[in-house]
Amino acid sequence: MEIFLQACVNGLLIGGFYSLMGMGQNIIFGVMKIINFCHGEMLMIGMYLTFVFNTFFGIDPYLSIPLVALCMFGLGALIQHTLITPSLGTKSFTNLLFLTVGLGILFQNLALVIFSPNYRTITTSYSSITVHLGPVTMALPKLISFIALIIITIALFWFLKYTSTGKKIRAVSQNPIGAEVVGINSKRIYIITYGLGCALAGVAGALLTLFYMVYPMVGSSFGFKALIVVVVGGFGSIQGAFCAGIFLGLLETLSSLIVGPTYRDLTVFVTFIVILVVRQIIILRRR
Amino acid sequence: MKGLSQYTIRKRIAMALLMILLLAIPLFLSGKPYLMNVFILIFYTSTMSMAWNLLGGMTGQNSLGHAAYMGLGAYVASLFVTKAGMNPWLAMVLSVVIVGGIAGVVFYPCFLLKGPYFTLVTIAFGETIRQFVINWDFAGKATGISLPFGAQSFAEFRFMSKVPYYYIGLAMIVGVYILMKIISRSKFGFALRTIREDEDVAAAIGIKPMRYKVYALIVSAMIAAMVGSFYAYYNRYIDPDLMLQTYSVEFVLPAIVGGAAFVEGPLVGGAILITLSEFLRNEFGAILPGINLILYAVVLLVVIRFRPVGLLGWYSQSKAKAFVDTKILKKTDADKEA
Amino acid sequence: MDNPIIEVKNITKNFKGLKAVSDVSFQIEEGKITGMIGPNGAGKSTTFNMICGYYPASEGHIFYKGQEITHKKAYDYTNMGIARTFQIMKPLGNLPVVDNVVPSAFFGRYGAKSLKEAREIALEVLEFTGLYAKRNVLAKDMGTPDQKRLEMARALATKPEMLFLDENMAGLNPAETEEAIALIRRINDSGVTIFLIEHIMKAVVSLCERVIVLHHGEKIAEGTPEEVMNDPYVMEVYLGTKGGHNNA
Repeated sequence: MEIFLQACVNGLLIGGFYSLMGMGQNIIFGVMKIINFCHGEMLMIGMYLTFVFNTFFGIDPYLSIPLVALCMFGLGALIQHTLITPSLGTKSFTNLLFLTVGLGILFQNLALVIFSPNYRTITTSYSSITVHLGPVTMALPKLISFIALIIITIALFWFLKYTSTGKKIRAVSQNPIGAEVVGINSKRIYIITYGLGCALAGVAGALLTLFYMVYPMVGSSFGFKALIVVVVGGFGSIQGAFCAGIFLGLLETLSSLIVGPTYRDLTVFVTFIVILVVRQIIILRRR
Repeated sequence: MKGLSQYTIRKRIAMALLMILLLAIPLFLSGKPYLMNVFILIFYTSTMSMAWNLLGGMTGQNSLGHAAYMGLGAYVASLFVTKAGMNPWLAMVLSVVIVGGIAGVVFYPCFLLKGPYFTLVTIAFGETIRQFVINWDFAGKATGISLPFGAQSFAEFRFMSKVPYYYIGLAMIVGVYILMKIISRSKFGFALRTIREDEDVAAAIGIKPMRYKVYALIVSAMIAAMVGSFYAYYNRYIDPDLMLQTYSVEFVLPAIVGGAAFVEGPLVGGAILITLSEFLRNEFGAILPGINLILYAVVLLVVIRFRPVGLLGWYSQSKAKAFVDTKILKKTDADKEA
Repeated sequence: MDNPIIEVKNITKNFKGLKAVSDVSFQIEEGKITGMIGPNGAGKSTTFNMICGYYPASEGHIFYKGQEITHKKAYDYTNMGIARTFQIMKPLGNLPVVDNVVPSAFFGRYGAKSLKEAREIALEVLEFTGLYAKRNVLAKDMGTPDQKRLEMARALATKPEMLFLDENMAGLNPAETEEAIALIRRINDSGVTIFLIEHIMKAVVSLCERVIVLHHGEKIAEGTPEEVMNDPYVMEVYLGTKGGHNNA
């Protein structure tokens, strides 16, 4: 029972990361109808930034979050402005797909060149403190990250729901032409959206750094899991992404508990394919 | 010569010269295994890229899991050779048939999905196969399979020198190219292009979209399995990493860079990308690992940003030519004059 | 009616509880031009798409030459000699005009065996529809009138006996409409039965021998254009009553 509870808590935590990544991905898809295949790499960059800030400037990983978010927003905005916006005009799904795939390869290998393939970790004075929550033990950094995840998620919901920029983002994802008609500058919204998506992934990275290794390929698995989250939760649905993220996290930890860790990914992928196909069959039937 | 324009004649002469050059290359380079290896790499990567392009470029179904079919092909062939002691050529043929069958049957329902959903399911499918192989005792789990070394023998698909591999690779790429050329001008090819542009239209003129998409996948997977078997015999060793999604992407890039709408796109893209990447890896790989992939990415980004129809789009005078066999247009013009 | 090529019997379509078309029946006479009119949202396109096999009818039956086709898929229609166009034009944008028509020649009832043969058929059809001069232009680079023509050319190249035209004149100016009317008449003269949805009354009146009027998913009138135009209920639906009251 304790193992099970422990697994649930771990699942919730990892699920929180998938949710945060998935929500960023989902905002981007909602607004521009593209899949950001370098989303995992954004998380990786966020992790390396946190690592650099900590190692070279001695900034605490949690205090560096705003800094990471800002840098990532800038990077995202730059990518959107120079690469994605011009390519949106060609309306070629293939090209947009491989544009982000190309960015992913670029970032992965830049990290490889700059930081070498070595695994990096950072430690702080509080890294090894553990907290007891009833029968469950949890490392302090994990607990802090978990609380931070909840706060950021709530802030994101609030931002999209009540701020003027958030409302504009929702307007563009619902009806781009309509939004343009009422005077929303969609190019600006694209930049903000992509920047925001990257910032969310970067922040997820920063929150992950204290208890996860940093290496150039760290993002690819997270990136794909974020995509699964988006698809299962429904493209364009932020709440759906949130729930699907938590579900995926639990599925992963519980399946490695039940069928064994080596079959964990197999379970996840097969579940994913089955969900996708079955849902599509239901949609087609209903027509 | 009636019906053959200046352009076609020039193109044919260029092709013939290129063929002669490619056939003659081992005469000069047989003492330089490294360069021979680069050519073999170009051959099988471009062939894989053509396989992808049938489904991706021509049918518009962007798969990102093609490494899985190649890997599966390599595994099936290697298992037949190592566990059943089968003749490698026969194993290759069986592998092609089996992988084609698996692709057609297992992947069939996934074709209900469209656009981004389809791409995602191909990634998941590829990963599923890889995870399956990693957990499969019979296939050596994560360690992979080594093929027996031994005396040079054509029947055993085992050679000391790289030259025979070069010629087999060349035969493979030329064969697949001719097949693609035929498909592109056939009823099948037109069905695929119609599906790429609009599935509703395809259905309205009597094309069954599901059926043709599956046909395209089966042909594509069969070519991938052939390349996979070749890869296994050439390297004498395979492991599940062969199916990594990274490789799937590497097979797509030549097509996108060269121009996915052209049958020749993957060939041009493959030749350029691999030559550059191998050069960089050779020169700087030791100090800067990953430099060749950075180049891949940069070339890809530049091409997509500035030449959305690929490098071959540069040569097409009218935009129309970017998407069709030039011969079709030439012929139509000839008809008009007649 | 003496010679119905299509018989629609009591078809109904529900979209998640919403009745888009309810209990509509009519016949299309062989060799004639039949039209369907009705205000926006009357269920014309839904009816059209049900007959063409794009979505299954919730209830009712559709017969083609006496054979039931209610549950046939769209792609089965081609070989029976039924073709359609799309209201929202769907050119194969990245292909030149001739290659938009070549697939029809391959897969339609001409059943071209080679590319050469298919292209000859395609060019013939392009000649007939007046697109020959533009055969090498990319379909997406053409204007609305030409794309509408291309819709027809693509359908004709399957060699249909029965042609469904979905608002083929929407967005055309008067001169272009005249040309389109002439083309439709030419197609009909070549022996093809035509069923069309149209908003432009002038076209309906000059082309159709029979007209079916739909309103709120129900058939409210049927007859010659004159009969239909003078039907008090149809006038009410189209023009509204004096008090602005609409009881439908």
